[in-house]
Amino acid sequence: MKNKILLVDDEAEIRDLLGQFLQHNGYVVTSVGTAQEAVTHVTAQVPDLVVSDLQLEESDGLEMIGRIKAIAPDTPVLLLTSLLFDQKVITETLSKKVSAYLPKTTPLNRILDEIKRLLA
Amino acid sequence: MKDQTIPRVLALFGLICVVLIAVAVHAVRNVNRAVAASDWVNATHATVNELANLAASLQAGEGSLRLFAQSADPRDQAACRQAYADTADHLEVLKALTRSDAARHPRVLRLETQALARAGFARQVLKTKVAGQHGEVLAMLAADTGAAELSEVMREIAKLKTEYLDQLAERDRAAYLQAQTTRWTVWTGVGLNFALLAGAAWIMYRDIGFRRQAAAALQQANDQLESRVKVRTAELSAANDQLALENLERRWANQALEHQLRYDHLIIDSISDLVLVVTKAGNISRINPAVSHVTGWDSPALINRPLTELARPAPAPDGRAPLVADPIGRAMQDGRDLRDLPVLLRNRQGGEQAVLLTLFPVRDANKVVGGVITLRSTAPVAHP
Repeated sequence: MKNKILLVDDEAEIRDLLGQFLQHNGYVVTSVGTAQEAVTHVTAQVPDLVVSDLQLEESDGLEMIGRIKAIAPDTPVLLLTSLLFDQKVITETLSKKVSAYLPKTTPLNRILDEIKRLLA
Repeated sequence: MKDQTIPRVLALFGLICVVLIAVAVHAVRNVNRAVAASDWVNATHATVNELANLAASLQAGEGSLRLFAQSADPRDQAACRQAYADTADHLEVLKALTRSDAARHPRVLRLETQALARAGFARQVLKTKVAGQHGEVLAMLAADTGAAELSEVMREIAKLKTEYLDQLAERDRAAYLQAQTTRWTVWTGVGLNFALLAGAAWIMYRDIGFRRQAAAALQQANDQLESRVKVRTAELSAANDQLALENLERRWANQALEHQLRYDHLIIDSISDLVLVVTKAGNISRINPAVSHVTGWDSPALINRPLTELARPAPAPDGRAPLVADPIGRAMQDGRDLRDLPVLLRNRQGGEQAVLLTLFPVRDANKVVGGVITLRSTAPVAHP
């Protein structure tokens, strides 16, 4: 059975490119542009993985992740953002809220490897 | 190569038709000949019969005449008259039968003349006898020279019969030969047609064999081609997938770079302090919006201009010139930070403002390639 991935990003091009790539690699991808849409989707159907940007137009990504975790605490979350965090921040802060963090400049194959690792 | 089977088979069937037509024409012509000959044979037999009947009636008439001369019996008289009447009938029939026979018809006419002469003599004898002149009758019979003539008539009749019978025999031989020829023609035609049919069947059999071999070879070639097409299609599909992935990777890398660059610009542009980027030669390569906001110079007016046209070191409070003529250039060359250097910032209206300049050299691979300058205001703008 194919894994279901929820892709949250306010930039349509990011959703389009990453969605195509993940679908090409055999995943069922649902793309949304806002935190509210993401929460609504998770409420209706819990995905196997959430890939989310940190900065959303109407909400903060970490806040949205908190709401998703309240609904589906076992669902892993991959944070994909343009903000470059210090390794200490990643270790001490982000790792408590998300399963993994990758900069948006990360190559797609590296993102795929991380997704496979999280879904393994 | 052009297919020769159909023309060859058609040629063979054409030959078969020709043979059939030839045999049929020959057979029909022989049948027609036989039918025509049958009429002739019937007429000839009738002629022979009439000749025999003619001879018989003449003989009967002659016999009855002589009996009547002796007996005076009316029955003999009647028989005599009947015999010569029959003779006349036979002669009429013979004339009709031989009308188309130019050689024998005159001979029949001569027979008629002679027979009628005998009939006339018989009538005179009968008339004389009926009159009761018996002596006269005997004298007429004694003086009769027609007996020899009658014998000649009989010989002519026999001769004609023989000639007709010889013709019939010859006709029988010809009919036999014709029938034999017809049989041979028919059987030869049938045999030839069977041979041609066998040839056509052999050509078709061989052609079917060739076609089966060709079909098998074609099927094999198609299978091989299909297999190669499948392999090639799979290769193309894989290559296409790879290209699509590479295209996605490239677009992703481009957008990520563009996104990151835009984000970096946003960070710099969001700073309220004046930020400038200068080359190692001291020319302005980039400014943030705060520079335009404070000085009134827009970005195109400042880019690639010397920093000294925008900011110059402030004179010492006592009015003396600075100890170092070009402290910014010196710090750039030394690759060291320069913090809070008092400078005068010139705006578009020509006024100057005292600000503090801080320089951070930009290094690339341990080489100074330029610097980042921030300007912080320290005093209100002085109007000239």
